[in-house]
Amino acid sequence: MVDVDSFVEDARAEISEALGDETAIIALSGGVDSSTAAALAYEAVGDQLVPVYVDTGLMRKGETDEIREVFDYMDSLRVVDASDRFFDELAGVTDPEEKRHAIGEQFIREFETVAEEVDATQLVQGTIYPDRIESEGTIKSHHNVGGLPERVGFEGIVEPMRDLYKDEVREVARHLGLEEIISERMPFPGPGLAVRVIGEVTPEKVAVCREATHIVEDELEAYEPWQAFAAVLGRATGVKGDNRVHGHVVAVRSVESRDGMTARAQELEWETLQRLQSRIAGTIDEVSRVVYDVTHKPPATIEYE
Amino acid sequence: MTHILVVDNHGQFTHLEHRLLRDMDGVTVDLTDNTTPPADIDADGLVLSGGPTMADIGHCREYLTLDVPILGVCLGHQLIADELGGRIEAGDYGGYADVTVSISDADDPLVGSLAPDTRVWASHADEVVAVPDGFTITAESDICGVEAMGDTDRDLYGVQWHPEVAHTEEGEAVFENFVAICE
Repeated sequence: MVDVDSFVEDARAEISEALGDETAIIALSGGVDSSTAAALAYEAVGDQLVPVYVDTGLMRKGETDEIREVFDYMDSLRVVDASDRFFDELAGVTDPEEKRHAIGEQFIREFETVAEEVDATQLVQGTIYPDRIESEGTIKSHHNVGGLPERVGFEGIVEPMRDLYKDEVREVARHLGLEEIISERMPFPGPGLAVRVIGEVTPEKVAVCREATHIVEDELEAYEPWQAFAAVLGRATGVKGDNRVHGHVVAVRSVESRDGMTARAQELEWETLQRLQSRIAGTIDEVSRVVYDVTHKPPATIEYE
Repeated sequence: MTHILVVDNHGQFTHLEHRLLRDMDGVTVDLTDNTTPPADIDADGLVLSGGPTMADIGHCREYLTLDVPILGVCLGHQLIADELGGRIEAGDYGGYADVTVSISDADDPLVGSLAPDTRVWASHADEVVAVPDGFTITAESDICGVEAMGDTDRDLYGVQWHPEVAHTEEGEAVFENFVAICE
């Protein structure tokens, strides 16, 4: 395990030296990796670092406000509302890899804009050790800003956590005093709720997914899942009141895991499952059916796309 | 210090093999691509990782003649069988997630300490159906006849499951046993 004290000291020195008096940006997603990298770099160089948070419109309920609050102490923080632009790019796109690509491209455009505005010549990234190995694999292209360095042509890239594993990053986050909502944050994919909506991503389906995910996180808190969420799979017939509806099918997923590499579907009580379906189908008009995903990883992945 | 090299066959769990060994006392570990020339391999033991395809195993077949203890994991296990005269085939029943493995050779230095059985996490479509000459089947399960094999003369070993993942119950013991073989 990493020695946190000496790691933080070394990382700060490395960042200060690499940046000199130049301006750097970091893509802040609110996840533990980028948040910790941002906090480390901000401690090292203050407002020379411009953390950029892009609200894609694909975030969880209340997430953007939460980020704004947690990182309020960074005067240089930029919050970009780009939801219309992301939904425009996603219109008509149904293939999972194409979706990720469209989102990645738009992310790059958003950061490019800010980088030019603030004249950033350096990029700080929260890359961790498994990212460096996994990016060679073929499971999923999961790096939002993977193509950013090539496009913007930064003079330098600083990756202070390149040798750390996720649990070590969490230790560093705790050491830096990042609030629990960050240091213990449930993993959330870069492309956001888009990978939890099968088929075309529309504001309407994302709204269903967001509300249902909120219910799942709330109801399953006691089970301490590693990750728990809802996905919108497609449509099926239902009957609400005396009306036939062709509503969304919402899948509930709740898994326990150490590192996300393997996962076990959690064993939930029947009463819990019933409360979930009742709240999801009962309070979200467009939902006619709720299913629970019992598949482990492998053969399934944790996320749907 | 015992120096172990993890050879990356581009499996999604390769970095977990590196992690497990890195955190072990008395062990130094490096991760290397499977295209590393055999002449440049300098280690007390090799771990051949899993991976998506036999078409992308680089120089792994040549590493088997380096006279150094080897642990093959998943695809790494299958490639040992394939190269040395065993046989691999597509399994009838893909091995995914939870599998209970019975240890058939309690004296085996790699998996014997897990006897009589152990719960593992697996992820494979293909499997070894015949082990090469000199090898013994050391573990089996309901869905796969060769869950582990070993040749104690040449110190070549293979496991079909993934000892490096968190959901495998006694995965660390497999690596500890392998390190003991390498010392």
